[in-house]
Amino acid sequence: MRFTISVVIVQFVCAIGSAQDIGSYLGDESFMYAETKQINQFFRRFNSEEDLEGKRIYEGNPNYRSKEFRSNYIEMLFDRQNGDITKEIKDEFIAEVTDESNPSFLDYYGGRWFAEVDTKFTYQGQSRTVVLFLQLEKENLGIKWVINNVYFYPFTKLFYTDSTAFAKFLHPMSHELDFMNLIKVFREPETVEYYFDEDYKPDFRTLFLYEIKKGDLVFETVEKVSFHFFQLNDWYFQLNEFNRQGYNTGWLISNLSKIPEEQKSMLLKYIYYEN
Amino acid sequence: MKSLHKILILIFIVVAGTGEFSCKSQKKIAAEQAAAAEARKIAKAKADLEELLSDNTGLTLDEKESRLKVIKDMNIEDAEVKELIVKVDEKLKREREALMAKERAEKLAREREEQLRREGTEPKGLNEYFSLIANSTNLATSNRYIGEALGLFASEDTPVLIIVSKSGNIVDYDRPTTIRRYLEYLKDQKVVRNEIENVVYDANGKITELELIKK
Amino acid sequence: MKRSSIYLSILLLFGVAITVLAQPEISPERKQAIDSLALEKVKDLGKYISIIGNKDTPFSEANRVIDRALELFAEGSQMGVSSINRKEIKYYGIREYFQRLMALNYDRVRIEWFNIEYISDLVRQPDGRYVGVITVYQRFTGESDDGLKYVDTTKKDITVYVERKQTQIQGRIIGFWDVLLGDIRVTETKPG
Repeated sequence: MRFTISVVIVQFVCAIGSAQDIGSYLGDESFMYAETKQINQFFRRFNSEEDLEGKRIYEGNPNYRSKEFRSNYIEMLFDRQNGDITKEIKDEFIAEVTDESNPSFLDYYGGRWFAEVDTKFTYQGQSRTVVLFLQLEKENLGIKWVINNVYFYPFTKLFYTDSTAFAKFLHPMSHELDFMNLIKVFREPETVEYYFDEDYKPDFRTLFLYEIKKGDLVFETVEKVSFHFFQLNDWYFQLNEFNRQGYNTGWLISNLSKIPEEQKSMLLKYIYYEN
Repeated sequence: MKSLHKILILIFIVVAGTGEFSCKSQKKIAAEQAAAAEARKIAKAKADLEELLSDNTGLTLDEKESRLKVIKDMNIEDAEVKELIVKVDEKLKREREALMAKERAEKLAREREEQLRREGTEPKGLNEYFSLIANSTNLATSNRYIGEALGLFASEDTPVLIIVSKSGNIVDYDRPTTIRRYLEYLKDQKVVRNEIENVVYDANGKITELELIKK
Repeated sequence: MKRSSIYLSILLLFGVAITVLAQPEISPERKQAIDSLALEKVKDLGKYISIIGNKDTPFSEANRVIDRALELFAEGSQMGVSSINRKEIKYYGIREYFQRLMALNYDRVRIEWFNIEYISDLVRQPDGRYVGVITVYQRFTGESDDGLKYVDTTKKDITVYVERKQTQIQGRIIGFWDVLLGDIRVTETKPG
C-alpha cells in the first residue's frame, strides 16, 4: 500500500515535468488535484496531513507527517518558475524541516505568520492602494483575523520629509517666554512632527481609522493577497497564489530566505514598509 | 384454649412492663428511628414519582406503571406524595392512550395495505415515491407524485428529521424540514440521499412525523 | 427578506431554536459527518445553480429554486468574482447573482461541476460557531443560436458556517447541525 502511494507521489512530482502521466491517471480534474487550493491545504501538504486526494489523514496513519511524503510534498509547494529560489537553498530548507531528529511543522494556531492584503480605496476622488496587514488573534475559545498594521503611501508623505529639519526645534529657553514661539511651530504644518519627542512614531492605523470615519477613505475592493511566514526557526518564506496553466499552481512559496531569528525584526520592518 | 389466651395476655403484660421499666429512652430512640424511616420512605417515593414525571427513566410504559403501583400500595400519608401520584397517574394514562392509538393506527395501516394487496392495487410506499420523484425527468410527473405522496401525511408541514450521525447516545440531525420541502428537494436534487428510519402515524393512518437517516 | 421570513416560519413551526454555547470537543466521526453534511449543501447549491441557469426551466420554477438556494445561505452573503483579465474582486449579492444567472442572454447554458472538492478544517470563531471553506470547480458553457460560444472554468471557494442548535419537535428536544453557506469567492482559472 505504502509502496503504491509512493509511486503515485513520484508520478505526481514527475507530472510537473510531463503533465500527461498524471492527466491520464486522474482524468480531467488532474490539474485541480495538483493545485494547492487553499492555505489550509498548504499547511496540510507541508505537514503531510492529507492524502493525495486531499482527504485528511490522522495520527496513526503511516503517512501522517511522514518524512518521505513531506519531502515530496514540500518540493511541490515551490513556485518552480522562480529562478531566485535556488536548488541549494530549497534542498537545505527541505532537509532541515523534515530532519527526523527535529522536524518542523507549520501550525495554523502557532502565530508568527500573517497576511498582506492589497486593497483599493477611494481617496480624494482617486482609487488608491492601501496595504493591510492581518494576523490571527484568539478570542474566547475561537480565533479571528485582525488588522494589525496599515500602509498607505500618502500617509508616509506627511511625516519627516523635510531635509532642512535639523533647525526645527523649540529652543531650551522657550519656557521663559511662556512658549510664545509655538506660533512658529504650527505655522508650518508639514514639519510639526519634528517638534515631537524622539520616541514619537506616526501611527498609520489611527490615521487610517480617522480617514475612514471621516468618510474620506472608502473601501472598493481587494486586489491581491500574500502571506508571510516567520514561524519556522531561522527561515522566512512568502506565499502567493499562482493562477496559471499546469500543475505548479495555487498557493506556492514565492520567496525563501534563511535568516537568523535575531534578524527577523529587520525583515519584518521591511515588509511593513517601515524602512 | 381459654387458659392459653390468658397466658398470652400475661406474657404480653410482663414483656411490655419490663420494657417500660428497663429503659424509657430506648423506646424514644425506636420512635425516632421509625419516624426517620417513614421520612426516608416519603422522600424516596417523591424522588421516584418525580423521575417518572420527568421522562428520563428510560423505562417502558409497563415498567413505569408497575413502579407507580408499588408506590401506591405503600399507602403513604403525605399530601405531596398523593398529589404526585395523581400527576403520574394522569401522565401514564395519557401515554397508555397514545400507545394504544399508535398501535391501532399501525394495525389499521397494516390492514389497509393488506386489503389493497389482496385487491391487487398495491399502494406506492414512501420509498417508492421518493425514488419516483427523484428520478422523474418531467416536471408535471414529479409534481403529481409529490401531490400523491403528500396524501400519506397528516399535513404538508409534517416534520421531517434527518439523522446525520449517531455516536453513542448522541444523535445529530440536519436542520429540520417539512415533508413538502423534502419532496421538492428530491425533485430538485434528483437523488435520494436518505433512508427511512422511523415513521409515526396518527389514528387515521396518516404520517405525523418522519425520521430519515443518511445512507 | 424572503429567506429570513421563511426561516422564521420554520423556526416558529418547530419552536424556538436555541444555540448551545457550551460545546464539547467533537469526535472525528462526528466531524466527518459534519464535513459530509457541509459538502452535501455545496452539492445542493451546485444543482440549484444548474437548474436556475438552465434555459428550459420555467420562470416560476426557477424562482422557486432561487428561494430554495437562498435558504442555504447566511444573511448578507456575497459573491466575490474575478476573472483572468480583471483580478480585483467584483461583489454581488447572492440573490442578484442568481437573478443574473437566470437572465443570461444565451440560448443554451450548460453548468458542469468537476468531480473534485476540497474541504478545509472547521475552525471555531469567537462566537462559538465553526467556519470552514469548501473549494469546488465549475465549467460554464453559454451558446447562442448564431454560433457564439462562451466557456469558462471557475474555482469557487465557499464559506460554510456550522452551528450546533436545539429545537423542540412534538415535545422532543432535537440537537441539530445548522449548516449555512456564506460568502463565495469565484476565481476564473486556466484549466489544463
